[in-house]
Amino acid sequence: MDISLDLLINAIIAGLLLGGFYAAVTAGISISFGMLDIVNIAHPGFVILGSYLAYYLNIHLGIDPIIVSILMLPFFYALGALIYQVYHLSFEKRGQDALRGLAFFFGLLFVTEVALILVFGVDYRYVEAAYIGPSLHVGFVDLPLRMLVPCIAALALFAAIQLFITRTFTGRAIMAVSQDQLALQLMAADPIKIKRIAFGLSIATAAVAGALLIIIQPVEPSVGREYIGRVFAICVLGGLGSMPGTLIAAILLGIVESLTATFYGPSWAPAVAFGFLLLTLAFRPAGLLGR
Amino acid sequence: MASSITIENVNAAYGAVRVIEDVSLTVKAGETVALLGTNGNGKSTLIKCIMGIVRPSAGRIIAEIDGVKHDLVGRTTQEIVDLGIALVPEGRRLFPKLTVEENLLLGAFRPTARAQIKTNMDFCFEAFPRLAERRHQLAGSMSGGEQQMVALARALMLAPRILLVDEPSVGLAPLLVARTIDAIKQLKDHYNLTVLMAEQNFTQAIRIADRGYVIVHGKIAFEGGSADELNNNDLIRQFYLGM
Repeated sequence: MDISLDLLINAIIAGLLLGGFYAAVTAGISISFGMLDIVNIAHPGFVILGSYLAYYLNIHLGIDPIIVSILMLPFFYALGALIYQVYHLSFEKRGQDALRGLAFFFGLLFVTEVALILVFGVDYRYVEAAYIGPSLHVGFVDLPLRMLVPCIAALALFAAIQLFITRTFTGRAIMAVSQDQLALQLMAADPIKIKRIAFGLSIATAAVAGALLIIIQPVEPSVGREYIGRVFAICVLGGLGSMPGTLIAAILLGIVESLTATFYGPSWAPAVAFGFLLLTLAFRPAGLLGR
Repeated sequence: MASSITIENVNAAYGAVRVIEDVSLTVKAGETVALLGTNGNGKSTLIKCIMGIVRPSAGRIIAEIDGVKHDLVGRTTQEIVDLGIALVPEGRRLFPKLTVEENLLLGAFRPTARAQIKTNMDFCFEAFPRLAERRHQLAGSMSGGEQQMVALARALMLAPRILLVDEPSVGLAPLLVARTIDAIKQLKDHYNLTVLMAEQNFTQAIRIADRGYVIVHGKIAFEGGSADELNNNDLIRQFYLGM
């Protein structure tokens, strides 16, 4: 029984760290899908793009992947703002955002993926940093730095987004923009500009999530697909538009997956995680912290 | 400083349907003017023309804000609001999934208003104590009367010079209509606003109006220079009082 208690606690800790990383990948979806009603299924594609940029600059210039991701924030923000502008003019403005918009983002996902394959090939790539490899040991608890550092970075990212959303005028306008655009105009705010800022921000988070991903595991261009279902599940589970809800949901999902993987085998993990999502929604349709 | 609205020969249409025909009216500095008329006569459309939500097909709309004149036709809604013209829209249009406080803070989005957040919010909470009690409640979960108070307070957070109110009585019980109209008067006096109010509840509207226009089928049918004149007008008796 002693051994399984160790195992249990280690599995929970591992899940917690994994969940922190999931939260970073979901942050952008929580903004674009949760707050703007834009079903950006291409988000994991941008995460992988972030991974490759972190890889490229890490290998060639020796810069730490997290530092790279911070340097990349303006570039990703601009990319997101540009994509939103195209999406708005081509689909949203004409009221065709539902199905055609979805196809647009599906296309973007493939274009990103294929572009990465053409440039970097299909081999797995990884980064080098001092914290990849060693672990902290607290009693019988294992804390691999490879997981701990991304988790801490993800929490910092969440804190920054939450502060921006709740404490600034632009942030509050982002929360309001999908509820009533005309009302927002009557507050002297331009809804299109607000959405452009928010979407830019959501893509900017992909730079960070991408760097964290390639710290955790080697990356090849189609790895992002594994995350599409998971991130939308986390977003819905947490409650649309709630950043704290997203964080809690990501950590819960990480723990559930980790426990299942430890005690029943990794292949059961997604099934249990999605079962957990269905059960939660059956009792709380708005998600954990949904308004 | 003077803030007023002058509407000159405005026409507006939805497609081929003419809704506003050659309407001219003025709201002078510090006045409360009622725009009266039953449903479907063009009151809301005229308000929307002022706010840049509907673009007039002809005519001019001039707003004077603190002595500076601005031509409103062709400007976007957010530009017009940014000049200092606030609208409390029909149906209130709060952000239902934001709290009362978040709704009010969004009211202060425009840079001029941000400097006055504290004083304006204190005044709103003083004028509507119920909102202070419920500041952390979601706006969508409040009663109709409370929502109307939030909508008025949110418009005030804009620190406007001119306040437009579109059908404040819609969907409210008679007692709450009276309270809402009183609240508009109170806010107007406190901030020395210029007010244009579109309303179909004639008796309530003229309680606080200095003057009024009656709009019928998109045209100004009668211009009453005082509340008494409106009260004694045949057209109004016919339309509202059934005499």
